[in-house]
Amino acid sequence: MADAIPQVGRVEIDDLVIRFNTKQGEMTALEKTALTLEPGTFTALIGPSGCGKSTLMNAIAGFVDPSAGQIRLDGQAVTGPSKDVGVIFQQYALFPWFTAIGNVRFGLKQMGLSQAEELERAHAALEEVGLSAHADKFPQQLSGGMKQRVAIARTFAVGPKVLLMDEPFGALDAQTRISMHSLLLDVWQKHRATVLFVTHDVDEALLLADDVRVMSQAPGRLIRHYSMTQQRPRAFSTSGPELLEIREEILGLLRPRETANEH
Amino acid sequence: MALTDQQGKTPVAWRPSLTGLASGVGAPFISLGFVLLLWTLVGLSGAIPEAIFPAPWSVWSATVEMWQNGTLPNDLKVSLSRAAIGFGIGASLGIFLGLMTGRVVVVRTLLNPFLNLLRPIPAIALVPVAIVWFGIGEGSKYFVVSYTVFLTVWFNTHHGMQYVPETYLRAARSLGASRFREFATVIIPAAAPHIFAGIRLGVALAFLSLIAAELSGASSGLGFRLQEARQYIRTDRMFSLLIILGILGASFDYLVNRLGQKLVHWEQA
Repeated sequence: MADAIPQVGRVEIDDLVIRFNTKQGEMTALEKTALTLEPGTFTALIGPSGCGKSTLMNAIAGFVDPSAGQIRLDGQAVTGPSKDVGVIFQQYALFPWFTAIGNVRFGLKQMGLSQAEELERAHAALEEVGLSAHADKFPQQLSGGMKQRVAIARTFAVGPKVLLMDEPFGALDAQTRISMHSLLLDVWQKHRATVLFVTHDVDEALLLADDVRVMSQAPGRLIRHYSMTQQRPRAFSTSGPELLEIREEILGLLRPRETANEH
Repeated sequence: MALTDQQGKTPVAWRPSLTGLASGVGAPFISLGFVLLLWTLVGLSGAIPEAIFPAPWSVWSATVEMWQNGTLPNDLKVSLSRAAIGFGIGASLGIFLGLMTGRVVVVRTLLNPFLNLLRPIPAIALVPVAIVWFGIGEGSKYFVVSYTVFLTVWFNTHHGMQYVPETYLRAARSLGASRFREFATVIIPAAAPHIFAGIRLGVALAFLSLIAAELSGASSGLGFRLQEARQYIRTDRMFSLLIILGILGASFDYLVNRLGQKLVHWEQA
Protein backbone atom coordinates (compact mmCIF):
# COMPACT_ATOMS: atom_id res chain seq x y z
CA MET A 1 0.00 0.00 0.00
CA ALA A 2 2.81 2.40 0.94
CA ASP A 3 4.21 2.64 -2.58
CA ALA A 4 0.80 3.72 -3.87
CA ILE A 5 0.86 6.89 -1.77
CA PRO A 6 1.25 9.86 -4.10
CA GLN A 7 3.35 12.92 -3.49
CA VAL A 8 0.65 15.36 -4.53
CA GLY A 9 -2.18 16.65 -2.43
CA ARG A 10 -0.30 18.30 0.43
CA VAL A 11 -2.51 20.87 2.12
CA GLU A 12 -0.78 23.47 4.25
CA ILE A 13 -2.84 25.79 6.39
CA ASP A 14 -0.89 28.70 7.84
CA ASP A 15 -2.35 30.75 10.67
CA LEU A 16 -5.73 30.79 8.99
CA VAL A 17 -8.41 33.05 10.50
CA ILE A 18 -11.95 33.34 9.17
CA ARG A 19 -14.29 36.12 10.21
CA PHE A 20 -17.74 36.90 8.93
CA ASN A 21 -19.63 40.16 8.97
CA THR A 22 -22.99 39.62 10.57
CA LYS A 23 -25.73 41.97 11.73
CA GLN A 24 -24.26 41.82 15.23
CA GLY A 25 -20.89 42.90 13.84
CA GLU A 26 -17.82 40.87 13.07
CA MET A 27 -17.86 37.25 14.17
CA THR A 28 -14.87 34.93 14.31
CA ALA A 29 -15.80 31.56 12.84
CA LEU A 30 -12.32 30.11 12.98
CA GLU A 31 -9.53 31.12 15.36
CA LYS A 32 -5.94 31.12 14.15
CA THR A 33 -5.42 27.59 12.85
CA ALA A 34 -2.34 25.83 11.51
CA LEU A 35 -2.60 22.37 10.04
CA THR A 36 -0.82 20.27 7.43
CA LEU A 37 -2.49 17.39 5.66
CA GLU A 38 0.10 14.99 4.25
CA PRO A 39 -0.46 13.60 0.76
CA GLY A 40 -2.76 10.61 0.67
CA THR A 41 -3.74 10.73 4.34
CA PHE A 42 -7.23 10.50 5.79
CA THR A 43 -7.96 13.11 8.44
CA ALA A 44 -11.19 13.34 10.37
CA LEU A 45 -12.18 16.70 11.82
CA ILE A 46 -14.55 16.44 14.71
CA GLY A 47 -16.18 19.06 16.87
CA PRO A 48 -19.48 20.32 18.24
CA SER A 49 -22.02 21.89 15.86
CA GLY A 50 -21.19 25.42 14.83
CA CYS A 51 -17.56 25.16 15.92
CA GLY A 52 -16.22 26.21 12.54
CA LYS A 53 -15.22 22.83 11.13
CA SER A 54 -17.35 23.37 8.03
CA THR A 55 -15.91 26.86 7.72
CA LEU A 56 -12.41 25.43 7.67
CA MET A 57 -13.50 22.95 5.01
CA ASN A 58 -15.15 25.68 2.94
CA ALA A 59 -11.94 27.69 3.08
CA ILE A 60 -9.87 24.76 1.81
CA ALA A 61 -12.44 24.22 -0.94
CA GLY A 62 -12.00 27.86 -1.96
CA PHE A 63 -15.62 28.76 -1.19
CA VAL A 64 -14.68 31.17 1.59
CA ASP A 65 -11.76 33.62 1.56
CA PRO A 66 -9.34 33.69 4.49
CA SER A 67 -9.48 36.82 6.66
CA ALA A 68 -5.85 36.20 7.59
CA GLY A 69 -3.32 33.49 6.86
CA GLN A 70 -3.09 31.25 3.84
CA ILE A 71 -4.01 27.85 2.47
CA ARG A 72 -1.68 26.17 0.01
CA LEU A 73 -2.16 23.06 -2.08
CA ASP A 74 1.20 21.61 -3.15
CA GLY A 75 2.77 25.00 -2.58
CA GLN A 76 0.17 26.97 -4.57
CA ALA A 77 -2.15 29.34 -2.71
CA VAL A 78 -5.81 28.32 -2.91
CA THR A 79 -7.74 31.24 -4.41
CA GLY A 80 -11.02 29.60 -5.39
CA PRO A 81 -12.69 26.28 -6.12
CA SER A 82 -10.95 23.94 -8.57
CA LYS A 83 -11.21 20.35 -9.63
CA ASP A 84 -8.04 19.58 -7.65
CA VAL A 85 -10.12 19.90 -4.51
CA GLY A 86 -13.21 17.69 -4.67
CA VAL A 87 -16.10 18.24 -2.29
CA ILE A 88 -18.78 15.82 -1.07
CA PHE A 89 -21.73 17.58 0.51
CA GLN A 90 -24.10 16.27 3.15
CA GLN A 91 -27.07 17.03 0.90
CA TYR A 92 -25.38 15.28 -2.07
CA ALA A 93 -25.66 18.33 -4.39
CA LEU A 94 -26.49 16.13 -7.36
CA PHE A 95 -28.09 17.98 -10.25
CA PRO A 96 -31.67 16.69 -10.44
CA TRP A 97 -31.94 17.48 -14.17
CA PHE A 98 -29.15 15.01 -14.99
CA THR A 99 -29.25 11.24 -14.61
CA ALA A 100 -26.69 9.48 -12.42
CA ILE A 101 -24.33 9.11 -15.36
CA GLY A 102 -25.12 12.65 -16.52
CA ASN A 103 -23.95 13.92 -13.14
CA VAL A 104 -20.68 12.02 -13.45
CA ARG A 105 -20.19 13.26 -17.02
CA PHE A 106 -20.73 16.86 -15.91
CA GLY A 107 -17.30 16.93 -14.28
CA LEU A 108 -15.61 14.99 -17.09
CA LYS A 109 -16.87 17.45 -19.73
CA GLN A 110 -14.18 19.95 -18.79
CA MET A 111 -11.38 17.50 -19.51
CA GLY A 112 -11.47 17.52 -23.32
CA LEU A 113 -12.18 13.81 -23.69
CA SER A 114 -13.83 12.22 -26.71
CA GLN A 115 -17.50 11.29 -26.27
CA ALA A 116 -16.63 7.60 -26.12
CA GLU A 117 -13.87 8.09 -23.59
CA GLU A 118 -16.03 10.34 -21.44
CA LEU A 119 -18.83 7.79 -21.40
CA GLU A 120 -16.42 4.97 -20.64
CA ARG A 121 -14.88 6.79 -17.70
CA ALA A 122 -18.28 7.77 -16.35
CA HIS A 123 -19.43 4.15 -16.50
CA ALA A 124 -16.21 2.99 -14.83
CA ALA A 125 -16.75 5.52 -12.02
CA LEU A 126 -20.31 4.31 -11.41
CA GLU A 127 -19.12 0.72 -11.57
CA GLU A 128 -16.64 1.47 -8.81
CA VAL A 129 -19.43 2.52 -6.45
CA GLY A 130 -21.67 -0.36 -7.56
CA LEU A 131 -24.25 1.70 -9.41
CA SER A 132 -23.83 0.55 -13.03
CA ALA A 133 -27.40 -0.71 -13.04
CA HIS A 134 -28.75 2.73 -12.06
CA ALA A 135 -26.78 4.87 -14.52
CA ASP A 136 -29.86 6.20 -16.27
CA LYS A 137 -31.91 6.98 -13.18
CA PHE A 138 -32.47 10.51 -11.98
CA PRO A 139 -31.29 11.41 -8.45
CA GLN A 140 -34.86 11.63 -7.15
CA GLN A 141 -35.31 7.95 -8.09
CA LEU A 142 -32.35 6.92 -5.91
CA SER A 143 -32.08 6.36 -2.15
CA GLY A 144 -29.94 8.63 0.01
CA GLY A 145 -27.05 6.16 0.09
CA MET A 146 -27.18 5.73 -3.68
CA LYS A 147 -27.20 9.49 -4.19
CA GLN A 148 -24.10 9.86 -2.08
CA ARG A 149 -22.44 7.05 -4.05
CA VAL A 150 -23.15 8.93 -7.27
CA ALA A 151 -21.64 12.04 -5.69
CA ILE A 152 -18.53 10.07 -4.69
CA ALA A 153 -18.21 8.66 -8.21
CA ARG A 154 -18.71 12.12 -9.72
CA THR A 155 -16.00 13.64 -7.53
CA PHE A 156 -13.40 10.88 -7.90
CA ALA A 157 -13.95 10.78 -11.68
CA VAL A 158 -12.25 14.14 -12.17
CA GLY A 159 -9.21 12.97 -10.16
CA PRO A 160 -9.04 15.45 -7.26
CA LYS A 161 -5.82 15.64 -5.26
CA VAL A 162 -7.77 16.51 -2.15
CA LEU A 163 -11.22 15.29 -1.14
CA LEU A 164 -13.26 17.27 1.37
CA MET A 165 -16.30 15.64 2.89
CA ASP A 166 -18.74 17.66 4.95
CA GLU A 167 -20.70 15.24 7.16
CA PRO A 168 -21.29 13.17 4.03
CA PHE A 169 -23.20 10.36 5.73
CA GLY A 170 -25.01 12.50 8.30
CA ALA A 171 -28.37 12.11 6.56
CA LEU A 172 -28.14 8.31 6.20
CA ASP A 173 -29.41 5.58 8.48
CA ALA A 174 -26.95 3.55 10.57
CA GLN A 175 -26.97 0.49 8.32
CA THR A 176 -26.37 2.46 5.12
CA ARG A 177 -23.70 4.46 6.89
CA ILE A 178 -21.68 1.34 7.70
CA SER A 179 -21.72 0.14 4.10
CA MET A 180 -20.81 3.66 2.93
CA HIS A 181 -17.76 3.58 5.22
CA SER A 182 -16.32 0.48 3.62
CA LEU A 183 -17.19 1.74 0.15
CA LEU A 184 -15.44 5.03 0.85
CA LEU A 185 -12.32 3.29 2.17
CA ASP A 186 -12.23 1.03 -0.91
CA VAL A 187 -12.53 3.89 -3.37
CA TRP A 188 -10.10 6.06 -1.42
CA GLN A 189 -7.48 3.31 -1.29
CA LYS A 190 -7.70 3.07 -5.08
CA HIS A 191 -7.39 6.82 -5.72
CA ARG A 192 -5.42 7.94 -2.66
CA ALA A 193 -6.54 11.53 -2.55
CA THR A 194 -5.81 13.45 0.64
CA VAL A 195 -9.06 13.28 2.59
CA LEU A 196 -10.46 15.71 5.12
CA PHE A 197 -13.61 14.28 6.60
CA VAL A 198 -15.77 16.60 8.71
CA THR A 199 -18.12 14.87 11.12
CA HIS A 200 -19.65 15.19 14.56
CA ASP A 201 -19.83 11.42 14.95
CA VAL A 202 -16.87 10.26 17.05
CA ASP A 203 -17.23 6.60 16.04
CA GLU A 204 -17.17 7.44 12.37
CA ALA A 205 -13.99 9.47 12.81
CA LEU A 206 -12.22 6.71 14.77
CA LEU A 207 -13.18 3.95 12.35
CA LEU A 208 -12.11 5.76 9.20
CA ALA A 209 -9.24 8.17 9.74
CA ASP A 210 -5.43 8.08 10.03
CA ASP A 211 -5.57 11.30 12.00
CA VAL A 212 -8.37 12.54 14.18
CA ARG A 213 -8.40 16.25 14.95
CA VAL A 214 -10.72 17.64 17.58
CA MET A 215 -12.02 21.20 17.49
CA SER A 216 -13.26 23.29 20.40
CA GLN A 217 -16.59 25.05 20.62
CA ALA A 218 -17.00 28.29 18.72
CA PRO A 219 -14.91 30.14 17.86
CA GLY A 220 -13.22 26.98 16.71
CA ARG A 221 -9.62 25.99 17.07
CA LEU A 222 -7.86 22.63 16.99
CA ILE A 223 -7.42 21.31 20.50
CA ARG A 224 -6.38 17.67 20.18
CA HIS A 225 -4.75 15.34 17.68
CA TYR A 226 -4.84 11.53 17.66
CA SER A 227 -2.83 9.37 15.26
CA MET A 228 -4.66 6.17 14.54
CA THR A 229 -2.48 3.18 13.75
CA GLN A 230 -5.04 0.37 13.96
CA GLN A 231 -5.49 -1.77 10.85
CA ARG A 232 -8.57 -1.15 8.73
CA PRO A 233 -11.30 -2.23 8.66
CA ARG A 234 -11.70 -1.24 12.28
CA ALA A 235 -14.38 -2.12 14.77
CA PHE A 236 -14.72 -1.25 18.43
CA SER A 237 -15.03 -4.96 19.23
CA THR A 238 -11.82 -6.05 17.48
CA SER A 239 -9.44 -3.09 17.18
CA GLY A 240 -8.18 -3.11 20.76
CA PRO A 241 -9.12 -1.21 23.92
CA GLU A 242 -7.24 1.92 22.91
CA LEU A 243 -9.96 2.85 20.46
CA LEU A 244 -12.54 2.91 23.23
CA GLU A 245 -10.26 4.96 25.47
CA ILE A 246 -9.78 7.59 22.79
CA ARG A 247 -13.52 7.57 22.19
CA GLU A 248 -14.20 8.34 25.87
CA GLU A 249 -11.61 11.09 25.84
CA ILE A 250 -13.04 12.78 22.78
CA LEU A 251 -16.59 12.53 24.08
CA GLY A 252 -15.34 14.23 27.24
CA LEU A 253 -13.78 17.03 25.20
CA LEU A 254 -16.95 17.55 23.19
CA ARG A 255 -19.26 17.60 26.24
CA PRO A 256 -20.57 21.14 26.65
CA ARG A 257 -19.37 22.78 29.85
CA GLU A 258 -22.74 23.82 31.26
CA THR A 259 -21.41 25.70 34.24
CA ALA A 260 -18.71 27.65 32.45
CA ASN A 261 -20.75 30.77 31.71
CA GLU A 262 -23.03 30.85 34.71
CA HIS A 263 -21.35 33.54 36.80
CA MET B 1 -60.26 32.11 -16.35
CA ALA B 2 -62.28 30.03 -13.91
CA LEU B 3 -62.09 27.23 -16.45
CA THR B 4 -58.33 27.22 -16.12
CA ASP B 5 -58.28 26.08 -12.51
CA GLN B 6 -60.61 23.21 -13.11
CA GLN B 7 -58.63 22.08 -16.12
CA GLY B 8 -55.33 22.12 -14.29
CA LYS B 9 -56.20 20.23 -11.14
CA THR B 10 -58.41 17.20 -11.38
CA PRO B 11 -60.55 17.22 -8.25
CA VAL B 12 -59.53 13.96 -6.62
CA ALA B 13 -62.24 14.22 -3.97
CA TRP B 14 -64.93 13.59 -6.58
CA ARG B 15 -63.71 10.15 -7.49
CA PRO B 16 -65.52 8.08 -4.91
CA SER B 17 -68.97 9.41 -5.87
CA LEU B 18 -68.56 9.70 -9.64
CA THR B 19 -66.04 6.98 -10.36
CA GLY B 20 -65.16 6.43 -13.98
CA LEU B 21 -66.40 9.66 -15.51
CA ALA B 22 -64.71 11.82 -12.93
CA SER B 23 -61.30 10.22 -13.33
CA GLY B 24 -58.59 12.06 -15.22
CA VAL B 25 -59.44 14.34 -18.11
CA GLY B 26 -63.18 13.68 -17.87
CA ALA B 27 -63.64 15.53 -14.59
CA PRO B 28 -63.95 19.12 -15.89
CA PHE B 29 -66.63 18.02 -18.37
CA ILE B 30 -68.92 16.88 -15.57
CA SER B 31 -68.77 20.33 -14.08
CA LEU B 32 -69.29 21.98 -17.46
CA GLY B 33 -72.19 19.66 -18.25
CA PHE B 34 -73.81 20.56 -14.95
CA VAL B 35 -73.51 24.30 -15.64
CA LEU B 36 -74.81 23.81 -19.18
CA LEU B 37 -77.82 21.97 -17.77
CA LEU B 38 -78.61 24.82 -15.37
CA TRP B 39 -78.16 27.34 -18.14
CA THR B 40 -80.55 25.38 -20.39
CA LEU B 41 -83.15 25.25 -17.61
CA VAL B 42 -82.90 29.01 -17.13
CA GLY B 43 -83.28 29.48 -20.88
CA LEU B 44 -86.33 27.15 -21.05
CA SER B 45 -88.00 28.89 -18.12
CA GLY B 46 -87.85 32.23 -19.91
CA ALA B 47 -87.25 34.00 -16.60
CA ILE B 48 -84.58 36.32 -18.02
CA PRO B 49 -85.07 38.14 -21.38
CA GLU B 50 -82.95 36.69 -24.21
CA ALA B 51 -81.40 40.09 -24.93
CA ILE B 52 -79.91 40.17 -21.43
CA PHE B 53 -79.06 36.52 -20.88
CA PRO B 54 -79.29 34.44 -24.05
CA ALA B 55 -80.06 30.72 -23.92
CA PRO B 56 -77.43 28.12 -24.96
CA TRP B 57 -79.08 27.46 -28.34
CA SER B 58 -79.07 31.19 -29.21
CA VAL B 59 -75.38 31.39 -28.38
CA TRP B 60 -74.74 28.31 -30.50
CA SER B 61 -76.56 29.76 -33.52
CA ALA B 62 -74.70 33.07 -33.09
CA THR B 63 -71.46 31.09 -33.18
CA VAL B 64 -72.50 29.26 -36.34
CA GLU B 65 -73.55 32.57 -37.89
CA MET B 66 -70.21 34.24 -37.14
CA TRP B 67 -68.37 31.19 -38.42
CA GLN B 68 -70.34 31.09 -41.67
CA ASN B 69 -70.08 34.80 -42.47
CA GLY B 70 -66.32 34.47 -42.08
CA THR B 71 -65.79 36.93 -39.22
CA LEU B 72 -65.03 34.31 -36.57
CA PRO B 73 -62.33 32.42 -38.51
CA ASN B 74 -60.70 35.71 -39.41
CA ASP B 75 -60.93 37.14 -35.89
CA LEU B 76 -59.45 33.96 -34.47
CA LYS B 77 -56.58 34.06 -36.93
CA VAL B 78 -55.88 37.73 -36.28
CA SER B 79 -56.11 37.53 -32.48
CA LEU B 80 -54.10 34.33 -32.19
CA SER B 81 -51.31 35.64 -34.34
CA ARG B 82 -51.21 38.91 -32.37
CA ALA B 83 -51.07 37.01 -29.11
CA ALA B 84 -48.42 34.62 -30.46
CA ILE B 85 -46.16 37.34 -31.85
CA GLY B 86 -46.55 39.55 -28.79
CA PHE B 87 -45.93 36.61 -26.50
CA GLY B 88 -42.88 35.50 -28.49
CA ILE B 89 -41.26 38.92 -28.32
CA GLY B 90 -42.17 39.49 -24.66
CA ALA B 91 -41.18 36.06 -23.40
CA SER B 92 -37.81 35.94 -25.16
CA LEU B 93 -36.93 39.44 -23.97
CA GLY B 94 -38.14 38.58 -20.48
CA ILE B 95 -36.07 35.40 -20.23
CA PHE B 96 -32.99 37.08 -21.67
CA LEU B 97 -33.16 40.09 -19.38
CA GLY B 98 -34.13 37.94 -16.39
CA LEU B 99 -30.99 35.86 -16.88
CA MET B 100 -28.97 39.07 -17.11
CA THR B 101 -30.44 40.86 -14.08
CA GLY B 102 -30.25 37.57 -12.20
CA ARG B 103 -26.52 37.15 -12.62
CA VAL B 104 -24.94 40.45 -13.74
CA VAL B 105 -24.76 42.98 -10.93
CA VAL B 106 -24.34 46.00 -13.22
CA VAL B 107 -27.45 45.15 -15.25
CA ARG B 108 -29.41 44.45 -12.09
CA THR B 109 -28.42 47.76 -10.50
CA LEU B 110 -29.32 49.69 -13.64
CA LEU B 111 -32.62 48.01 -14.47
CA ASN B 112 -34.30 46.32 -11.50
CA PRO B 113 -35.69 49.37 -9.68
CA PHE B 114 -37.05 50.75 -12.95
CA LEU B 115 -38.63 47.46 -14.04
CA ASN B 116 -40.19 46.98 -10.61
CA LEU B 117 -41.70 50.44 -10.92
CA LEU B 118 -43.27 49.48 -14.24
CA ARG B 119 -44.82 46.27 -12.97
CA PRO B 120 -47.80 47.78 -11.10
CA ILE B 121 -48.98 49.74 -14.18
CA PRO B 122 -52.02 47.87 -15.61
CA ALA B 123 -51.67 46.81 -19.22
CA ILE B 124 -54.95 48.52 -20.13
CA ALA B 125 -53.52 51.86 -19.07
CA LEU B 126 -50.89 51.46 -21.78
CA VAL B 127 -53.37 51.13 -24.62
CA PRO B 128 -53.81 54.89 -25.25
CA VAL B 129 -50.04 55.39 -25.40
CA ALA B 130 -49.65 52.35 -27.64
CA ILE B 131 -52.25 53.75 -30.06
CA VAL B 132 -50.49 57.12 -30.23
CA TRP B 133 -47.16 55.43 -30.85
CA PHE B 134 -48.16 52.60 -33.15
CA GLY B 135 -51.65 53.42 -34.47
CA ILE B 136 -54.64 51.07 -34.32
CA GLY B 137 -52.96 48.41 -36.47
CA GLU B 138 -50.88 45.43 -35.46
CA GLY B 139 -48.05 47.43 -33.92
CA SER B 140 -49.96 48.65 -30.89
CA LYS B 141 -51.25 45.11 -30.15
CA TYR B 142 -47.78 43.60 -30.35
CA PHE B 143 -46.53 46.33 -28.08
CA VAL B 144 -49.17 45.94 -25.37
CA VAL B 145 -48.99 42.13 -25.36
CA SER B 146 -45.22 41.85 -25.47
CA TYR B 147 -44.81 44.51 -22.79
CA THR B 148 -47.17 42.71 -20.41
CA VAL B 149 -45.68 39.29 -21.07
CA PHE B 150 -42.16 40.66 -20.83
CA LEU B 151 -42.59 42.07 -17.32
CA THR B 152 -44.10 38.88 -15.93
CA VAL B 153 -41.58 36.56 -17.54
CA TRP B 154 -38.70 38.84 -16.57
CA PHE B 155 -39.84 38.98 -12.95
CA ASN B 156 -40.20 35.22 -12.60
CA THR B 157 -36.94 34.47 -14.38
CA HIS B 158 -35.08 36.99 -12.24
CA HIS B 159 -36.68 35.56 -9.12
CA GLY B 160 -35.70 32.02 -10.14
CA MET B 161 -32.10 33.10 -10.68
CA GLN B 162 -31.96 34.46 -7.13
CA TYR B 163 -32.86 31.08 -5.69
CA VAL B 164 -30.30 28.88 -7.42
CA PRO B 165 -29.00 26.88 -4.44
CA GLU B 166 -25.46 27.86 -3.50
CA THR B 167 -24.54 24.16 -3.15
CA TYR B 168 -25.15 23.60 -6.87
CA LEU B 169 -22.73 26.39 -7.74
CA ARG B 170 -20.16 25.11 -5.28
CA ALA B 171 -20.47 21.58 -6.61
CA ALA B 172 -20.14 22.79 -10.21
CA ARG B 173 -17.06 24.89 -9.48
CA SER B 174 -15.26 22.24 -7.47
CA LEU B 175 -15.84 19.86 -10.39
CA GLY B 176 -13.92 22.33 -12.55
CA ALA B 177 -16.88 23.60 -14.59
CA SER B 178 -16.26 26.71 -16.67
CA ARG B 179 -18.42 29.77 -16.07
CA PHE B 180 -20.26 29.09 -19.31
CA ARG B 181 -21.00 25.46 -18.47
CA GLU B 182 -22.11 26.49 -15.01
CA PHE B 183 -24.50 29.04 -16.49
CA ALA B 184 -25.90 26.83 -19.23
CA THR B 185 -26.17 23.51 -17.42
CA VAL B 186 -26.56 24.45 -13.77
CA ILE B 187 -27.98 27.95 -13.30
CA ILE B 188 -30.54 27.86 -16.11
CA PRO B 189 -31.93 24.40 -15.24
CA ALA B 190 -32.02 25.35 -11.56
CA ALA B 191 -34.07 28.44 -12.43
CA ALA B 192 -36.20 26.63 -15.03
CA PRO B 193 -39.18 25.87 -12.77
CA HIS B 194 -39.55 29.59 -12.04
CA ILE B 195 -39.03 30.52 -15.67
CA PHE B 196 -41.81 28.12 -16.61
CA ALA B 197 -44.13 29.55 -13.99
CA GLY B 198 -43.50 32.94 -15.61
CA ILE B 199 -44.23 31.57 -19.07
CA ARG B 200 -47.49 30.06 -17.89
CA LEU B 201 -48.57 33.36 -16.39
CA GLY B 202 -47.35 35.10 -19.53
CA VAL B 203 -49.63 33.01 -21.75
CA ALA B 204 -52.66 33.98 -19.66
CA LEU B 205 -51.63 37.62 -19.63
CA ALA B 206 -51.05 37.62 -23.39
CA PHE B 207 -54.78 36.99 -23.93
CA LEU B 208 -55.82 39.38 -21.22
CA SER B 209 -53.80 42.28 -22.55
CA LEU B 210 -54.60 41.49 -26.17
CA ILE B 211 -58.34 41.70 -25.55
CA ALA B 212 -57.80 44.90 -23.60
CA ALA B 213 -55.96 46.36 -26.57
CA GLU B 214 -58.54 45.14 -29.11
CA LEU B 215 -61.51 46.46 -27.14
CA SER B 216 -60.44 50.04 -27.70
CA GLY B 217 -58.80 50.71 -31.00
CA ALA B 218 -58.90 47.81 -33.42
CA SER B 219 -60.74 46.88 -36.58
CA SER B 220 -60.55 43.10 -36.26
CA GLY B 221 -59.94 40.43 -33.66
CA LEU B 222 -62.02 38.83 -30.94
CA GLY B 223 -61.85 41.89 -28.68
CA PHE B 224 -62.99 44.18 -31.46
CA ARG B 225 -65.89 41.80 -32.25
CA LEU B 226 -66.98 41.91 -28.59
CA GLN B 227 -67.01 45.68 -28.72
CA GLU B 228 -68.95 45.59 -31.97
CA ALA B 229 -71.50 43.18 -30.48
CA ARG B 230 -72.08 45.65 -27.68
CA GLN B 231 -73.01 48.36 -30.17
CA TYR B 232 -75.68 46.08 -31.68
CA ILE B 233 -76.63 44.67 -28.25
CA ARG B 234 -75.91 41.15 -29.52
CA THR B 235 -75.45 39.38 -26.16
CA ASP B 236 -75.61 36.03 -27.95
CA ARG B 237 -72.47 36.94 -29.88
CA MET B 238 -70.81 38.30 -26.75
CA PHE B 239 -71.46 35.05 -24.89
CA SER B 240 -70.14 33.07 -27.82
CA LEU B 241 -66.94 35.14 -27.93
CA LEU B 242 -66.47 34.94 -24.16
CA ILE B 243 -66.82 31.17 -24.23
CA ILE B 244 -64.35 30.95 -27.09
CA LEU B 245 -61.87 33.07 -25.10
CA GLY B 246 -62.33 30.79 -22.11
CA ILE B 247 -61.74 27.65 -24.15
CA LEU B 248 -58.68 29.15 -25.84
CA GLY B 249 -57.17 30.30 -22.54
CA ALA B 250 -57.77 26.98 -20.82
CA SER B 251 -56.38 24.97 -23.74
CA PHE B 252 -53.20 27.00 -23.95
CA ASP B 253 -52.72 26.85 -20.21
CA TYR B 254 -53.14 23.07 -20.33
CA LEU B 255 -50.66 22.71 -23.18
CA VAL B 256 -48.05 24.96 -21.57
CA ASN B 257 -48.43 23.13 -18.29
CA ARG B 258 -47.95 19.76 -19.97
CA LEU B 259 -44.90 21.06 -21.82
CA GLY B 260 -43.51 22.40 -18.54
CA GLN B 261 -43.94 19.05 -16.83
CA LYS B 262 -42.02 17.40 -19.67
CA LEU B 263 -39.18 19.91 -19.73
CA VAL B 264 -38.85 20.45 -15.97
CA HIS B 265 -39.51 16.79 -15.15
CA TRP B 266 -37.47 16.80 -11.93
CA GLU B 267 -39.64 19.42 -10.22
CA GLN B 268 -42.86 17.54 -9.50
CA ALA B 269 -44.46 18.82 -6.36
